Amino acid sequence: MLDFLARLFRSQPRLAPEAVQSAFRDHYRSFRALITANNNALELMSATEDMLSSGRPFGMAFVRGEMTALTVNVYKMVRSLIALSDGRYQELDERFKKITDQIEAILSRQPEAAGSAQILDLTVIDRRVVDQVGAKMANLGEIRNHVGLLVPDGFAITAAAARHFMESTRIQDEINRRLKTLDVADLESLYLVSTAIQELIAAAPLPADLDTLLHEHYGHLAERCGGAPAVSLRSSALGEDSRHGSFAGQYRTRLNVAAEAIVEAYKEIVASKYQSQAIVYRQQRGYRHQDVFMGVGCLVMVDAVCSGVAYSHAPEDERSPWLVIHAAHGLGNQVVDGSSAYDLLHILRESPHTVAVAHLADPAAPCLSEDQARELARQALLIEAHFGTPQDIEWALDRQGRLVILQARPIGAPSKEASPPRLQAARSLVEGQTPLLAGGVTASRGVGAGAVHKVTCALDVLNFPRDAVLAVETPYPEWAVLLDRAAAVVSESGQAATHLATVAREFGVPALFDLPGALKQLENGQTVTVDATARRIYDGRVEPLLEAARHRPNLMEGSPIHNLLQEALTLITPLHLTEPDSPFFKPVSCRTLHDITRFCHEKALTEMFNFGHRYGAKDKSAKQLYVVGMPAQWWVINLEDGFRPDTDLTTPFIRIEDIVSEPMLAIWRGMTAVPWQGPPPVSMKGLGSIIAQSAMNPQLDPAVRSRMAGRNYFLLSRHYCNLSVRLGYHFALAEASFSELLTESYVNFQFQGGAADERRRRRRVQILGDLLREIDFRVEIKGDALSARIEKRPVPYLKERLVVLGYLLIHTRQVDMVMDEEGYIGRYLDRIHADIARIRQEMNEGDQT
Amino acid sequence: MKRPRNILLVDDEEDFLATMARRLGRREFEVRTATRCTDAVPIVASGWPQVVVLDVMLPDTDGIACLGRIKQAAPRLPVIMLTGHASMQASLQGMEQGASDYCLKPIEIDELVEKLIIAFNEAGASA
Repeated sequence: MLDFLARLFRSQPRLAPEAVQSAFRDHYRSFRALITANNNALELMSATEDMLSSGRPFGMAFVRGEMTALTVNVYKMVRSLIALSDGRYQELDERFKKITDQIEAILSRQPEAAGSAQILDLTVIDRRVVDQVGAKMANLGEIRNHVGLLVPDGFAITAAAARHFMESTRIQDEINRRLKTLDVADLESLYLVSTAIQELIAAAPLPADLDTLLHEHYGHLAERCGGAPAVSLRSSALGEDSRHGSFAGQYRTRLNVAAEAIVEAYKEIVASKYQSQAIVYRQQRGYRHQDVFMGVGCLVMVDAVCSGVAYSHAPEDERSPWLVIHAAHGLGNQVVDGSSAYDLLHILRESPHTVAVAHLADPAAPCLSEDQARELARQALLIEAHFGTPQDIEWALDRQGRLVILQARPIGAPSKEASPPRLQAARSLVEGQTPLLAGGVTASRGVGAGAVHKVTCALDVLNFPRDAVLAVETPYPEWAVLLDRAAAVVSESGQAATHLATVAREFGVPALFDLPGALKQLENGQTVTVDATARRIYDGRVEPLLEAARHRPNLMEGSPIHNLLQEALTLITPLHLTEPDSPFFKPVSCRTLHDITRFCHEKALTEMFNFGHRYGAKDKSAKQLYVVGMPAQWWVINLEDGFRPDTDLTTPFIRIEDIVSEPMLAIWRGMTAVPWQGPPPVSMKGLGSIIAQSAMNPQLDPAVRSRMAGRNYFLLSRHYCNLSVRLGYHFALAEASFSELLTESYVNFQFQGGAADERRRRRRVQILGDLLREIDFRVEIKGDALSARIEKRPVPYLKERLVVLGYLLIHTRQVDMVMDEEGYIGRYLDRIHADIARIRQEMNEGDQT
Repeated sequence: MKRPRNILLVDDEEDFLATMARRLGRREFEVRTATRCTDAVPIVASGWPQVVVLDVMLPDTDGIACLGRIKQAAPRLPVIMLTGHASMQASLQGMEQGASDYCLKPIEIDELVEKLIIAFNEAGASA
């Protein structure tokens, strides 16, 4: 590394200080943009995969939105890296273009006008036509056609029909004109305009072909019912994609509509798109009103003796053992709007669904018999099992005593963590069993079991048995090669957006991250069951959990849109570039967007860290820090606004009082917090090793000084600091950025030690790694090189860690000399721990005063 | 001294412009609006805005062409593209033409504000 840096240092022309500053500003800006784009891209990949595996319905709007956001972010990374590397890596452009062209080809294959039918019978409706009929009708079709429960007979008037209606009336321009005059803050004018628009739509004639179709379908319905049934018309909006689906279902419903009033009711519901609250909602989010289309369900009215709502879980608590039923006599919205007295039943979710609590409006006349209540509970659970999340179900009981399902939707907002109900039922069976470990972050959902196999080095990888549970300290991308063999993954650190998590989701391997202490708790060879969804690890195989996990429904699977997204993801998420030291870690090897992000991220870090060396400034441009009592000399290069404005720049020195760079002041505070007591007594063995190494490696001989040797640089701006340190034989780089944006706030640290033999060098970074982990750094160690990072944290949090890092920079090297004497190490570590505790306490006290 | 944070919003929907102007105004941004590219370019040329938020669908010209004209008038001015219909190619085309970012409608105000702050930092850094 030294050799490499020295070469770079020599190869770069000396630039004037202003040029260095300007170059740095440009590089730093590119770097920050790249880091932000990287985080965004990884989160988008993770969200898209999660959607794909969740079974939740999504349409092309979602797919296009996610793909666009993702490609734009990856594009930004590529541009930033090319800028950051002064034009190297141009070939990434070509790779990027090739991959995005392929993705675009997949996306544009989807015939978006696939649903041109204006009316679809309920018998052909399920989630695959959600883009035509809206979520509400798609769900009802699922319940009828795939769960096999009784729903009202009927049909859906599709988005294509609504579009056809609006286009044929040519009133859209007039509607837009009226909306333009509208100030949504003026409620009175909002209501006026909203009403006027709805009247406009109501007054417009239905196109003749749609009118005919509507009457034809109603005619078939009448034939099947043997009469002219009254119908309900329900809104089933679409066009508001899944990310913001909260508004769907807020539109109008008309009950008891007679044959001659159907057209009028249909228009009324289409017009309810312009209800005042809907106008406000869309306007605030920049939706074009004309992009939201109203699907409408037309369903035969149920002649109900009673009706109500069933929650397959008590709505406030997903873990509750209860299912809750509200019931009232007759049919209508009384239960929903709470306007009349109703029966309230709590029923055990577990078969035989005992009715446990019943508050009856009239104890003499319950709406449901106990058998009927139990049957409703059974049906509610079937629906929940089918959709995979707890459901809020509208139901009715007809005069023949049959239960009819009117509508079902997820309770509350669809939760990412909502687990399949079968799994939950199984979980209730293991309730009594204490998990070995609980908590952490679900990186990939599911349940898996196997023998624990801890992996810390390449040798462990080679010995990894099939179907074992991969246990690691840090989710390095390198471990991804094991995922086709692993039953589950457990990691002490890491988040859902890491590369390994992405790959785990791709392989469908359950993964539970961020479980500190997991490696200590788990024994190699011990059989465990990892329930990544519920974030628990059990001893042994928990068969009910494993059995339940095998039946995960995915209702979108097989649909054209699901297939399309799945195919697009093959160009996005697989990661081939895992090993930065590999000769194949090159732009040409990038086959997916994930590869490109990985490459850009890795190279950006390298570029940024090497900046100070690549652009070696003239000695004149660097000020020497005027200090006493500190080892070595310290140089400061002001990149922007790191010095007090009135600083005297005519002298070659700078005082610490003249520096206003917050990250540097934090590091410096740590460096000077405890007086340096000089090197500790050297054990003979330690000294011998260092001398021997120096003799073998002339680069490390202090007599062969490079320009960098003994020089320690701070590159500064007010909110940024990049420090290169050479102390003794160690080489360290610390970089910190403070920003009001969490995505741009981080501390980054790299350390590599020279001298001493391989074993001691490894031991040294292990000790340093342990200390850094204690203050919440994410630490990666490869051989004798360590890199550590904290990101996306508030400034005071980072500042405290930076102070401790400053302290460690100066003091850990003392451990070096005594590494062979365990007694010494223990004592030094004790002292270091005590120092750190005191430094942190002083900082916290300082904040309070 | 606090730098002024001037934003030019260009979108053909006046109601959307008015809402956004008010909401951004509450967060201490100075906002001016234009519904057409022809109105936007002179404002850009005057040097007033530090960031432009530009809808890709405009009545008088398409957004990409408008972006070109804005970039011609002020090459280093950050422009955030807004699009209702997500289109990968159009968005990438915008980025290639020099847009600094893009935002998908429906807009989450916090997301837009975050992108604006990044754009202002860039504008400040290169000023």
